This record gives sequence, C-alpha cells and structure tokens, in this order.
Amino acid sequence: MAVSVNEAVSPGPVRDHPPPARRRSGRGRTVLEVALLTVLAVVMLFPVLWMIETSIKENRDVYAVPAKFFDFKVTLDHYRDVFVASGGGRSTLSVSFLNSVIVAGVSTVLATVLGVPAAWAYSRFAVRAKKDQLFFILSTRFMPPVVVVIPIFLMYRQVGLIDNALGLILIYTAFNVPFTIWMMKGFVDEVPAEYEDAAMLDGYTRLQAFRKFTLPLLVPGIAATAVFALIFSWNEFVFAIFLTSSDDVRTAPPAIAGLIGGTTVDWGLVAASSVVFALPVLVFAYLVRKHLVAGVTLGAVRR
Amino acid sequence: MRYSKRTGRLSVPGRKVRLATAAMLLVTMTTAAACSDGQDDGAKASAPKAPATIPELTKDPLTLSFIWFEWPPAQALEAFANEEYKKERPNATIKVNTVPNANWHDAMFTQFAARKTDFDIAILDSQHIGEAVTNGNILDLTDFVKTNIDVKAYNPYLLAAYGQFPQAETGKRDENASLYGLPLLGDTWTMIYRKDLIGDKPPQTWDEMISAAEKCQADNPGVSGLAFHQANGSDAAAVTYNTVNGVYGGNLWDAKTRKIQGVINDPAGQEAMDVLVNKMKPLTAKGSGNWFIDEVNAAVAQGKACIAFNWIAASGGLLDPKQSTLGTTRNQILDKLGFATLPSQKTNLVPLGGMGMHVSAYSSPANQAEALNFMKWFERADVQKKWAAAGGVPSRTDALESPEFLNAGPFNRVYADSVPRMRDMWNVPEYARLVDIENTNVNAALNGAKKPKEALDDIAKEQQSVLDSSSRKGGGGL
Amino acid sequence: MSDPAPSTIDRPGQVASATPPAPGRSRRLSDRGLAVAFISPALLLLLAMSVFPLLWALYLSFTDYSATRGGPANFVGFGNYTAILTSAQVHLRALTTVIYVVGAVGLQTVLGFTIAYLISRRTHGRGLLTTLFLVPMMLSPVVVGLFWRFMLDAQFGVVNSMLGSLGLGQVEWLTRQRTALISLIVVDTWQWTPFIMLIALAGLTAVPKYLYEAASIDRASEWFRFRTITLPLVWPLLLIAVLFRAIEAFRLFDLVYILTSGGPGVSTETLSFHVYKVAFLGFNTGTASAYGILMVLVVIVLTQLYLRYLNKLKED
Repeated sequence: MAVSVNEAVSPGPVRDHPPPARRRSGRGRTVLEVALLTVLAVVMLFPVLWMIETSIKENRDVYAVPAKFFDFKVTLDHYRDVFVASGGGRSTLSVSFLNSVIVAGVSTVLATVLGVPAAWAYSRFAVRAKKDQLFFILSTRFMPPVVVVIPIFLMYRQVGLIDNALGLILIYTAFNVPFTIWMMKGFVDEVPAEYEDAAMLDGYTRLQAFRKFTLPLLVPGIAATAVFALIFSWNEFVFAIFLTSSDDVRTAPPAIAGLIGGTTVDWGLVAASSVVFALPVLVFAYLVRKHLVAGVTLGAVRR
Repeated sequence: MRYSKRTGRLSVPGRKVRLATAAMLLVTMTTAAACSDGQDDGAKASAPKAPATIPELTKDPLTLSFIWFEWPPAQALEAFANEEYKKERPNATIKVNTVPNANWHDAMFTQFAARKTDFDIAILDSQHIGEAVTNGNILDLTDFVKTNIDVKAYNPYLLAAYGQFPQAETGKRDENASLYGLPLLGDTWTMIYRKDLIGDKPPQTWDEMISAAEKCQADNPGVSGLAFHQANGSDAAAVTYNTVNGVYGGNLWDAKTRKIQGVINDPAGQEAMDVLVNKMKPLTAKGSGNWFIDEVNAAVAQGKACIAFNWIAASGGLLDPKQSTLGTTRNQILDKLGFATLPSQKTNLVPLGGMGMHVSAYSSPANQAEALNFMKWFERADVQKKWAAAGGVPSRTDALESPEFLNAGPFNRVYADSVPRMRDMWNVPEYARLVDIENTNVNAALNGAKKPKEALDDIAKEQQSVLDSSSRKGGGGL
Repeated sequence: MSDPAPSTIDRPGQVASATPPAPGRSRRLSDRGLAVAFISPALLLLLAMSVFPLLWALYLSFTDYSATRGGPANFVGFGNYTAILTSAQVHLRALTTVIYVVGAVGLQTVLGFTIAYLISRRTHGRGLLTTLFLVPMMLSPVVVGLFWRFMLDAQFGVVNSMLGSLGLGQVEWLTRQRTALISLIVVDTWQWTPFIMLIALAGLTAVPKYLYEAASIDRASEWFRFRTITLPLVWPLLLIAVLFRAIEAFRLFDLVYILTSGGPGVSTETLSFHVYKVAFLGFNTGTASAYGILMVLVVIVLTQLYLRYLNKLKED
C-alpha cells in the first residue's frame, strides 16, 4: 500500500491533484466545500483560542455572562502565577513543570537507548518467532493504564518506588519501548541492508557496520520517534496521579488537575498553565509533522 | 519486512524458551507475592501505640509534614504553625501538603497502602479514622493523651469525633475507648443568607427556609433561591442528604445492629429525600448538580444565591472584596450577607465537619516524636486561642468561648452555637465505599437520573451489602 | 523482581575498534549474539514492567487480597470473576462504555473522514489546514478535560453563553444523564477526530490519480467513483484507525475523571473508572485485579483484530 504520509501533511501545495469534479460542478461546489472546511476548522480551533483568551483575561471577565470575546482588559498575571508563588519564589506549578521535563526527558532517552538497537536487531536478523515477539511487544502498549497501575503499585511498594521520579521514569520507559521498537523498525527497514553487507565485506564487523553506516542514516527517524515518546510521557496522567503524591515529585498533569477542587477555582490560572503546558508539545509535534501518521499509530501504519 | 524469512514461527525451541520464561516468571511471581504477604502480616495488627511520654526531640533541622486538601485553612495552618511553633522549636519547619478535595481520601490511603507516607501528621476526616485504625495506619494515642492532654478542657463529643474509635454515638464520648487523634479544626455547615433580599432575621425552620428561598427567587430574577453541595465526589452530596435526613428526624443507620436497610430509607428518610429533591433542588441554579464548596462560594460571591449552605471553614473567602461582587469593603459585604446556624425542623441536628490530627505509623521515629510534641503544643489553651485568632476553629471549650474566637469571623458564633447539635456519619472501615454509594445515588436523584425513592432504596441496599460483605467470598467492592 | 537496569545494554561503541579487523569466522554466531544482546534488554524491561505485573494481578485476581487491610491473600477461586460477571453494577458500566465507545468512535470516524475528504480536494493550503486540525490531538487529556469542563459550565460557560445569544436556553451539559454522556462523547470526538482525519488523509492522497482519470473517461458519476475507487482503497487504513481508537476509548479514564467524575450518579462511569473505584476507594485489590484482567482480555481481542487487519494491509 503506497500511502505517502509525507505528502499528506507537508505544508504548501502538494501535487497536482485536480479534484475530478471541478470540471462539471464548477465554482459553487468549491465555495461550499471551502465554507464547510472553514466552519469545521473554527469549531475545532475555538476551544484552543478560548483557552488562550481566558489565560489573558482578568478573573472578573472570565466569569462574565454573556461571555466577552473581544472587549476585555489583557493581563499577564495568570502567566506570572504559573511560575511565581503568591509570596514570591517558585510556585509548586513550576516545580511540577520541571519534574515533567526530567521524567519525560529521561524516560525518552532510556526508551530510545533500549528500543533502537532492538528495532535494528528485529529488522536485520532472523529472530525466532519474530512476529510473535513483535506482536507481544505491541500488545503490552495497549493495556489499560488503570489496570496496570494496580500491580505496579504493589510492586513499587515493595521496592520503594512509590512517589519517586524513578518509578515514573521506569513505567513511562516501559510504555515507550514498544512504540520505539515498532516505529524504529520501520525506519531501519528503509535502510538497505546491503550497506552493512558491503561494509562487512570490507572487514568491518556487523556492529561496526551498524554504527558507522546505518546509525547515521537513522538519526532523523530516531529524533522523530523520541519526540513522540516525549509527548506521550509529557501528557501522561493516570500513572502520575496514582504513583506520586508529593509536590516535589508530582508532574504537571496532576498538578494542573489539582488546580480545581479547592474552595475557589482560578480558571485564568488553569488556562495559563494549560497553555504553558501545551506549547512545547505543539512545537515538537510541528517539528515531526512528517512522521505524524506513523507516530500516532505506534509506528504500525507507515506505507 | 526484509528479513522475515519465516524461520520457523513457533518452532519447537521457541516454544521451549517461552515455556521456560513463563515458568520463571511464575516462580518470581509467587515468591514476590509470598514475601509481600509476609510483610503484610507484620502490619496486620491494629494501630501501633504511641509512647505515653514524648521521646527526646532532635536538635537537627526537621520538617514536619501534614497532608490536607486544598483550602484556605491549610494555608492558615502552615503560616500559623511556622510563625508560632518555631518559637518553641526553632529547628522545625512545618509543611502542609495539599491535594484536591476529591482526591483527599485516595491520596492519604494510597500512601498508607504503600506503607510509606510523605506526611507525618495526616489530617483525617472523622469518618476516615475507622479505616486507618483497622489497617494500622495511624498511632494509638490513648496513653499519650492520658499523660499529656487535659481532656476535661474539651467538649467531650469533639474529642470523640476527631479521635475516638469505635465511633461515639451522637453527642457522647466513651471514656474507655481508645483515642487515635486530637482535634485540629472544628467545622459545621453555616446557613449564608442575603439580608438585603430576605431580611435580617434568618429563617428558623427548614420549611420557613424553603419558602423564604422560594419567595426570594421569584422576586429577584437571575438569583436562585438555594445553593448547596450536590457533587458526586468527596462527601459532597452525601453530607447534604445526611443533613436533611437529620433535620427531618431520620437516621443513617443503627450502629449496634449494623443495619442500614430499613433505617436510612424509613419514612423520615423518605421525607428528607423528598424535601431535598422535590422542594430544595428546584430552587437551585440550573446546572448546579455538580457543585461543591467552590461553586457554592462563587454563587454567593457573585450575588446569585439567596440562601446557601457551606462549611464554615471554607467561608472566609466570602468576605474578601476582591472575590466578591457584593461590596467593595468587608463591611459592605457584611451588610448583605448573614450567617446563621442551620434551621431546625423535627430535630436541630447539624453535620459535624472538621478534622483531627493523626500520626502516620510509617513516619520516622524522630518525626513521630516531633508530631506528638506539636500536638501537645497545639492543644495548649494559649495556642488554641491564637489559632482561633489566626482563622482556625478550636475545639477547647475555653477557646471556643473566648472573644479571640468569637470576634474573628461572623460565622464563629454559628460554630459555637452548633457544637451541641452535631451528628457525624458512620465511622467504620468501609466508610469510603459507603459514602461513595450515597454520593452517587443522591447526586443521581438530584439530577434526575434516578427517582428519589429508588435512589434511597438503592443506597440502603448497597450500603447494607457493603457492611455484610465480609462473609462473602470474592467480588468485594463492586 | 528483576530490576530493569538500563546499564545492561551493550553500548555499540564499546566493542567497535577503529580499523576494520579481519572478517570474523563466527559471523553467524556473532549475529545471533548481537541480536540477543540488542533485543533482550528491551524484552527484559517489558517482562519486568508489563508481563510480571500482569501475572501478579492474575494471581491476586483469585484472592480476596486488599492492599490496605493487609493480611494473607485468601484463595477464593473464581469468586471474583463470577461476582464481576454477574454484577448489575458492572453491566451498567459495560453498557455505558459500549455506548461511549460506539458513539465517540463512530462520530469521529464520520467527521474525520469528511474533513480528510474535503482537505484532499483542496490544492492550496493543505499542509497548513492539516496542521491546524491536528492541534486538539496533541493536547493532554487533562488540559482537554479541564477546559471543556470550563466551557460547558451551565452558568458561565461559553457554550451556554453562545446558545443564549442565539436565544436558546441553558443546557445542563455535565449534570444530566443524557447530556453528560453526550458531552463526554463530544469532547472525545473533538480531541480525536484529527486522528481519524490524519490517517484517512494518508489513505486518500495515496489513491493513484490514473484510477480517477480512467473513471472520468468512463463518465462515471462522482458517487460511483467514490464508492468504487476511493472507499475500497481507503477502507483498510480507516479500519485500522477505527480499531486503534476503539482500544483507546475502551481504556478511557482521565477524561471521565476530570470532566464528570462519573456523574450524574454513576451514569458516565466507564469500566476503567469503575476499576479505579474498586481498586483505590474500597481497596478491594483482588476484585479490582480480576476486573482488570477481564478488561485486558477485551483489549487483547481488539488488539488481535487490529493486528490481523494490519497484517492484511501489509501483505497487500
């Protein structure tokens, strides 16, 4: 199946693909279609815009009925509150953002270090029951987190990993390794094995051939895979809320969720922290837009 | 798939390897499970005892951690303790960890279950005590209290409510029962009413309250008659029903025979549910079916409710002009807002709120000693008065009657008057399940997902089966 | 418990020397060794973090173990399983979950495919449009849940505010039995329509142009072309997307937790949410484990379907 993912999402005019209907039904239909697309785009994007707008509104405008779309006073106070505690100093939210960076970053590095060599081995060698192994690997990724968290909780209790960044890092790594293997295997498959064979005829060992000739070609793929692993770990909520409890360890998603449920809810702050939290993901997603289809299907669908 | 030469999928060696792996895993699993059981056996005995006298305190810097939910008293406690306790113990720092209210029980008890807590003092709701004591999660303070605390200085019921297990009957304390905690913050519901809309004099009976709300709602478009807790999380909707149930002469259960079926859904209980769903709910704002503390506060502060019910300890923000549209100064707001004890009907019962301090069994000995020292200090008469002045609600009778307390907020008089009228929920290990059943069913009735009678009967049936489930094999907790 | 220490991994760099040595005699052997060395660390981690916990849960599912109450885990046979499978409470949650999965996945498939189709017919700005449409998918469920909760608030939410200016009354989005489940479906659809769109778009752009050209020579009607050319070619990919979403939707927890916490009553409690309550509210760990194992079985069936179609797709 020759699905060209890159062309589907790369910006700019893609290729000459004249809508076959244009000749007959003319402009009216095109206008209708564009209008429909516009409406759909507005509906899809409105919540995001509303979130950004709420984050720069004063609290009394946030609750205004009817809602204020344009005529409100702009304030950046909520953004300040995300990072600075009311008494000065670092806010607990900013600490949680830092924790998220550490947990997501380290687990991504680990998953890459474990997953890339395994993907290469699965691609190059005749491993026993390879298909079964690969399917087993993928299916671990589909376990409901709420179910996995019960035995993980008991296990971590034995080894003291509850409320510990290492505990989160390990479980995120375990959830990202299947993805990394599947995604990377596709990238390795694309690099002709003949390169390595040729190198080995020159006297290089298999390992050296991998390192010197294949690995450099895989770097863009590794980067894309790592970004997806990073996004998953960054956004993860279920493990985080059940396996961590203290402010020092808590990552951003449970911390943001904790902003509601007090005696007052500061929706401006919720919006501002959501924007700050979502921004890196959007930037990263934009960087790997060429690999999105493979990325969101755990590398299962590529071409 | 370049190399997929199908080299013997499911070849014999492959199967062997997998069988071996499975066997290995099974062995590891059983050993790990066995060792976990061993450890649990050690902790199975009920609550470990705290020493009668406070052990020698450390001179090293030490952080004494609490866990509470996110609300103003938590910040007040941290500020107060760091200010005052530091004078006695300069090397100690107080930290109050907070979690969202809906997550409060889970956050504490998952840590208890982990046998490792990031807090030394758990601020448990009175009803959590049973679960914590039975699991051995908190220290038995009976001996410590005997030698260190002047129990006579307290209203006996408050002491019982925040520390005693098995539970005290309403208004009574069993002198022979063990104590597992000491009062931290007293609380009950206050009625918040708009003096400018329904008059200065608060309604005295539940019926009067409903008709005043009805009239006020009709007279003031855009303002709803009532605002109260209806959410299905925490204990929100359950406390609301329990309050009405008490006022209409119902009972939650018969503690002696452990009967809920036929007690909570007796005629008085039915009437209470009917009043709540058919008379009170129609007077609330549309979409208020998931309201809890903050939404009720917001409705009052925005001038959208004639009469509201909320926990006293959560009401301080109502007087803050920055959060209110009712006035630009505290006095302007107080011209419009009145605070009163709950109206009575067949009885004058009010819900017991507030929490005690309980020492985690998994905290280090040095921190446990510091925790005991803190509790002894906190229950001193002078400290209780200072706590009252700092916005806390004390439990010592002398502090409750002190001008420091009564003048600190307009609702403090309400609390002092409510103390003899309090009733608590079930204080049993199964509390979390019981309250969830009640919360979800009352919430369903309030939002039209169930008929009131059906909801009440379901509560009785499901709660009874939780209490009786110890005899059943498997499937507990469904 | 085996500690999945990352240090066991063979760093490629350590073995390699700078100059190419003589070709190894034992190349087959070293290949196998290399494969084992490269694959086993990842597999060990998965065994330790996925398989082992699952086996542990399997063991606990036959006991009445409780994580807080401690004490020995008494063997109860299939007691937990029969209790779960016969419980009316569980049936209720299963029904809710099925409605939710079918509703949400169905809606996002139709919408996602429509958007993809519309985009595929545009010549200009396709990249930009696609990128914009993809934003919701990248957000954390926490952010999505919180924000929709704010927007759907009956009193000051922007959705009711807009309905109000159109002269329509307030809708209780999150506190009525029907609307709450619908809201859940709508929010999930909002977030995941881009997913279906993305994959459908990949399929649509892959339809070879000459097929359309051949069809237009035959003067085939547009609907005919769509039905006979476009759909059959996109269908397998779309099915993959649908299955993938179904698995994800079946596991849904976070959105319920934040948006409705299962309310009103328990009418938006999904199976995942119910497992959470059994596991962390009542701490009936044995029951929760059995419940979880049953859910995993459902996921395994769905996954098998997913993989089967995937295989078919790859073989074509």
